[in-house]
Amino acid sequence: MSDHIDGPRQIGDPAADVTDLFAFISPENPKNTVVALNVFPSAGVSAVFSNAVNHSIAIRRVTVAGTGNDAKFKADDQEIRFSCRFDLLQRQGEKTVQRGTLTCPDGQALGFVVNDEQGASTPDGVYRVFAGLRSDPFLLGWVGFKKVPNLLQHDNVLAIVIEFDTQRVLHPEEASLFGVIAETTPLAAGINPVDRPPLRYDWVGRPEQTNMRLNNGALQDVDDLRDLWNQQTPFAISQDLKPMFHTRLVDSLNAWDMRDGKADWTPEAIAAAANVYLDDFMLFDVAKPITDQSYLEIEKSTLRGTPYQTGGGRTVDAHDIDILMTWMVNNDREFLSGGSPAATKPGIKTFPYEASPNSELQTVADTAELAASPDQVWSLIGKFGDLTWHPLAASIKMTGEGVGQLRTIETIDGKQIIERLEALDHSQRLYRYTNVSGLGVVDYTGTFDLKPKGSGCSVEWRVQFLADNQPTLIVRTIVATLMKVGFGALAKRFGVLQ
Amino acid sequence: MIEAPEIELAYTLTDGEIAVNNLESARRHSWSRFWRDPIRPGIAESIVEQELLTAQFLSDMGALNRLDTLLQCLDRVDATSRRTTLIRAQIASMEHRFAEAKRHLDKIGDWGDLADAVNRLSLSIDQACGDRLAYVLESRRQFAQSSARLEDLVPLGALLVDLGRFDEADQVYARALREYKDVSPFAIAWVCFQRGVLWGELCPESQPGRAEEWYRRALGYLPSYVKARVHLSEICLRTGAVGTAQALLLPVISRGDPEVNWRLADVLAASGRTAEAETQLADARNGFEALLAKYLLAFADHGSEFYSSSGKDPQRALELSMVNLKNRPTLRAFERAYEAAVEARDTKTATNVLTAARKKWGGTQAFALSRLALARADSGSREGADVA
Repeated sequence: MSDHIDGPRQIGDPAADVTDLFAFISPENPKNTVVALNVFPSAGVSAVFSNAVNHSIAIRRVTVAGTGNDAKFKADDQEIRFSCRFDLLQRQGEKTVQRGTLTCPDGQALGFVVNDEQGASTPDGVYRVFAGLRSDPFLLGWVGFKKVPNLLQHDNVLAIVIEFDTQRVLHPEEASLFGVIAETTPLAAGINPVDRPPLRYDWVGRPEQTNMRLNNGALQDVDDLRDLWNQQTPFAISQDLKPMFHTRLVDSLNAWDMRDGKADWTPEAIAAAANVYLDDFMLFDVAKPITDQSYLEIEKSTLRGTPYQTGGGRTVDAHDIDILMTWMVNNDREFLSGGSPAATKPGIKTFPYEASPNSELQTVADTAELAASPDQVWSLIGKFGDLTWHPLAASIKMTGEGVGQLRTIETIDGKQIIERLEALDHSQRLYRYTNVSGLGVVDYTGTFDLKPKGSGCSVEWRVQFLADNQPTLIVRTIVATLMKVGFGALAKRFGVLQ
Repeated sequence: MIEAPEIELAYTLTDGEIAVNNLESARRHSWSRFWRDPIRPGIAESIVEQELLTAQFLSDMGALNRLDTLLQCLDRVDATSRRTTLIRAQIASMEHRFAEAKRHLDKIGDWGDLADAVNRLSLSIDQACGDRLAYVLESRRQFAQSSARLEDLVPLGALLVDLGRFDEADQVYARALREYKDVSPFAIAWVCFQRGVLWGELCPESQPGRAEEWYRRALGYLPSYVKARVHLSEICLRTGAVGTAQALLLPVISRGDPEVNWRLADVLAASGRTAEAETQLADARNGFEALLAKYLLAFADHGSEFYSSSGKDPQRALELSMVNLKNRPTLRAFERAYEAAVEARDTKTATNVLTAARKKWGGTQAFALSRLALARADSGSREGADVA
């Protein structure tokens, strides 16, 4: 069918895309540090890690090498690196299992099972790891400078969460400030037939360096530098390319500053901030408190010429985009909140600290094709308050009027179901309702959608839901039965379209 | 013909089973997000991409139905937006409703940030219809030069094949493999499959051994790749490896692709299992007719090939080939229509097709290499033309 080469436009593996990086003090044990790398945006509920990717988190000691407009953070050459790789899928009876191995900085190899909530720990207790599906903690309530509901609502990601003994791994008595990056790289990068540098799929230091700073939608007719940036070596951006990236960052930061029509940054401050951004690693100081508000505080204070007060870092619940927008747009003059107050789920206080995955909405749908005009059928089924046509509805009581009205349905077997009208469009012959109670569901939306078809019409009845404390199959069966019996009655009344 | 020297991929790709698992999982999740909020940016677009992958590599025939459902919903909630118009055009193109797709693209003057996607779709449509090929070639070369991405190199390679520049096409495919910088097995399997088709079916001197090697590579990266299994099974059957041919097809019979039933029927017939072959043939026929009833333009060419072959209905083959030709007058469509006309002993149609083909394609290198170059215009005779 696609023999005219209308192939997919983007054939990358999303499992290699880094979505997030976190660094914070363990809520369970303040003597531990937690670093986490998320990959695979919008992962499905059965998503697994790629077996072909090396997932790494690299930490380096950092010193403050300049302040104010000369602000600079210098990273050591020595690295504390965690690397994680994953196996092929294995069958264990009915289940499919994936295993992985974390290589710790001291060389210990720690095996674990993906999605095991307890994770795995090294025998010496220094390291603990979890890898598996989690609710995406990212809160993205902006499109450009426009507030929108969280664009990642109900999304999941694959997370790798590593908790370790701060003292034994980082030796903070020497110095407590660190920079961290996360990256995904090929497993066997040694063979390069044309002598190119090793490949890298993706990496992140401070989130949104590429999407918001280097690729600013407000800048017109500029080259997209994201791919070029992604090929840079973390902690060692090409000196030859730094001027070009710096120029882009300055242009971008200028554009952000003027987003609200007010100039809150001086040219010198913007240039200094661009310099800091060029050294793209997330800063965290394990000797100071890391909170939901401390993200970027180290950079900001150093650029302002004052000692930083917090451990910076990034917690699971940090509203990092709001913090970043506030800083870029008005230099912290007035806090800017996006279109959503929180991510889908808050972080949790116990390991692995990122919330359990979001369930997938279930869908049950059925269609009836009837030998009657759309108006005829709609005049019967288009009244939210009238279910006399449905054999399983014994009685119905209405409360309220218009959108928002409730119908309480007594079924012939004695159940009571309450539903709320959410939308009604007689011109489109469509109405939408939600379930308030009676079915053991949450997030339940039903839609009646009637369209002309040939000499008759077609009615689609679609329901989406999440089962609440009962098996999904039971709800699916109830809903499917409601549909089947209802459509059977309509077919008997109007005839089936041939 | 010169085959470009090979360079082995320098690194591991994601295992095919994992990739398919993740695609299916992501696809279901995208639908779940869509039903919560159909207008949310990016979700409908993700669905289109994921359903395209599902259809192309896993031969999931339900993908087209689901995309129709997507569009019906968008028509309700977001009918006039640019993004819905683009999606409408993309789905029309996937279903080979090319004229309709073009009309959708023409509706909006300034596409803004969608201009690149629109341009690429427009090129694909022109390429599919054999229109403005010089312009398409120039554009594809520019994309390939600036991006060197597989997604730009493979369409360029396919166009070069259409133009009869087989060596150059193979070079481009080889480059696509060398330049690939990601980890998806779908991408690499796609290029391997394209090379299999090039060597096995499209170049004038078919080289089944080379084609077989490329199909095997495609399946090495992506064992679920249904089309690769089908094409490889054809080669295996021709070389007498009947057991291998059957083993390739049986695991994917449940996918619902009638071409699998068709090829399995051939395999069973070759094994002397006539009754089972007839059952598969009937399933193939029913399957093709069901698809043709809903998506005539998308499946007219494959349907025609079926009925010219094991489907044994030359009139139906001719009818479908003419539908395909009218929709997309490529050289290949002319070849199919001519062959179908000859098989149906419709001399007049064969002559007309040949005349029209010469008029549109006669001056091209591709035509000179085509089976039609040796065909006779007066009687539609097979003399001198290998149309088998």
